[in-house]
Amino acid sequence: MIGISVDSSPANKVFAEQNGFTFPLLSDFKRTVSKEYGILNEEYGFANRATFVIDKDGIIRHIDKDRDAIDPSGAHAACSLLEHKKS
Amino acid sequence: MATLFSGAKLPTPSSPLKVGDLAPDFSLPDQNGKEVRLSEFRGSKNVVLAFYVLAYTPG
Repeated sequence: MIGISVDSSPANKVFAEQNGFTFPLLSDFKRTVSKEYGILNEEYGFANRATFVIDKDGIIRHIDKDRDAIDPSGAHAACSLLEHKKS
Repeated sequence: MATLFSGAKLPTPSSPLKVGDLAPDFSLPDQNGKEVRLSEFRGSKNVVLAFYVLAYTPG
């Protein structure tokens, strides 16, 4: 699990500590990654909410965007499929 | 104008990624300033990449 936002690293540190997160929260301060993943909101300059499930081969297996990304069940189901996949 | 509107094959930086695409690699600093590269996990771990809206903005 990796979180990404356009917030600065110090802001993410506070956010992680306040919420007890142990996974990395990455700072896409320059918005290059948000843009590359096609989820940068150009009008407001922040990344829209989105979840990408990426398998061990680096292939995108599931995408949730905007409101769908609030509910983690889709991503969770995709992860379960990967866990059980024999490769 | 016809070409403008039929230019679906033109590569654009914001062309949306699809399921089955190779996830673009990147390296970004985590909350402790340590660089994390997506390809570090290749071959070993599945990754859930969650883009979230500003940390202090609910919803």
